[in-house]
Amino acid sequence: MKQTSGTVAGLTIAIAFLASATLVYGGKYNSTINIGMQAPVFTNLPATDGKSYSMSDFKEDVLVIVFLANHCPWVKGGEPDMIKTVGEYKSKSVRFVGIAINLRQEDTLPAMKARVQQAGYNFLYLFDGSQEIGRKYGATHTPEYFVLDKNRRVVYTGLLTNSPALMEGRAPRYTNGPPAQFYVRDGIEAAAAGKLPAVTETRPQGCTLEYASR
Amino acid sequence: MWSGSRTGASIRRSKLCSILAPCSILAAVLCLLSCGSKPGPGAIDLRPVTFEPVTYDQWQRELASLKGNIVVVDLWATWCVPCIERFPHMVQLYNRYKNGGVTFVSMSVDDREDKQALETARQFLRRQNATFRNYLMNENISQSFEKLDIEGVPDVWVYDQTGRRRYALNGNDPNRQFTEKDVDDAVATLVAER
Repeated sequence: MKQTSGTVAGLTIAIAFLASATLVYGGKYNSTINIGMQAPVFTNLPATDGKSYSMSDFKEDVLVIVFLANHCPWVKGGEPDMIKTVGEYKSKSVRFVGIAINLRQEDTLPAMKARVQQAGYNFLYLFDGSQEIGRKYGATHTPEYFVLDKNRRVVYTGLLTNSPALMEGRAPRYTNGPPAQFYVRDGIEAAAAGKLPAVTETRPQGCTLEYASR
Repeated sequence: MWSGSRTGASIRRSKLCSILAPCSILAAVLCLLSCGSKPGPGAIDLRPVTFEPVTYDQWQRELASLKGNIVVVDLWATWCVPCIERFPHMVQLYNRYKNGGVTFVSMSVDDREDKQALETARQFLRRQNATFRNYLMNENISQSFEKLDIEGVPDVWVYDQTGRRRYALNGNDPNRQFTEKDVDDAVATLVAER
């Protein structure tokens, strides 16, 4: 929420406050999350390692949450760069957590466990069968990243890089040539420095997450 | 490259049997060439299934040329599982409304560089007997998302007769997902308005 001055600002804040009681915020692409917002928390989500995790278990300075779906060719295509990026931050105070919410059999826990092994995921991979965490984050596509700072405010949402890779046959193919902009990496660096990155939101192109109607 | 003519209308099997043999043979050959799927009971649709690459600009002109009709655009891709699952419903809807002034088209956002995916798409459209116009976005695939202003597929657009897009049914909001019934209702609403 941009502020102006004087009474206009006061009025704006009052209206925003009233609106927030009934409406959700919305970024350009995200219907729910705005940059700078406190990130929604998750509690006791089962992981592929057999344990359960809550957001409060992660004490690192930066937390990166990525919504994934096993079956999705954009997820599979993006795996090499995702795994490489996680590896680059292993020695830093940065934590990556993958979350799956699709209810298709190929996207749920047993299949997730197999995928972690096959693809060599080097991060925790959680499942939320209630899909609530996806709704709270306004996550709609996979892979869709959220970078959170030390205070767990959202500093970035969207793609890993400017060149999403699609799995074609057995090989990933960059759709925009070799990546030139590393949005998540920039988001992590900015969050670690207590700033916002130059690019805070990108179009989360990919496979559509499937929510149960209610 | 993937296009074919859209000449010839449905010919009833009974009529085929009664016309001259050479014509029947010609029809059979045509069918072998163009019918990728089993003919429906009673009627054979001899129109070949097409899959035409169009740039975004060409697509905009095509859309403009359809003004005056209710237009349903099914955005899909072979990499999209729900799109594949929902496609038969689109074909059913097309068959329900094809004589009722509703135009159906499909637009694939498969990667034009992925020849295997394009062949899969073409075979799929044939199996589905998708005899409406099937397009392929002939742009860099990431540019396609930008230009069409979509985040993913399926995305079903329904235009009224004035050419205004009245519905964009997609998965861009977790709490407003769409069903096949929503597509039915959107088309029925615009047909009732006419």
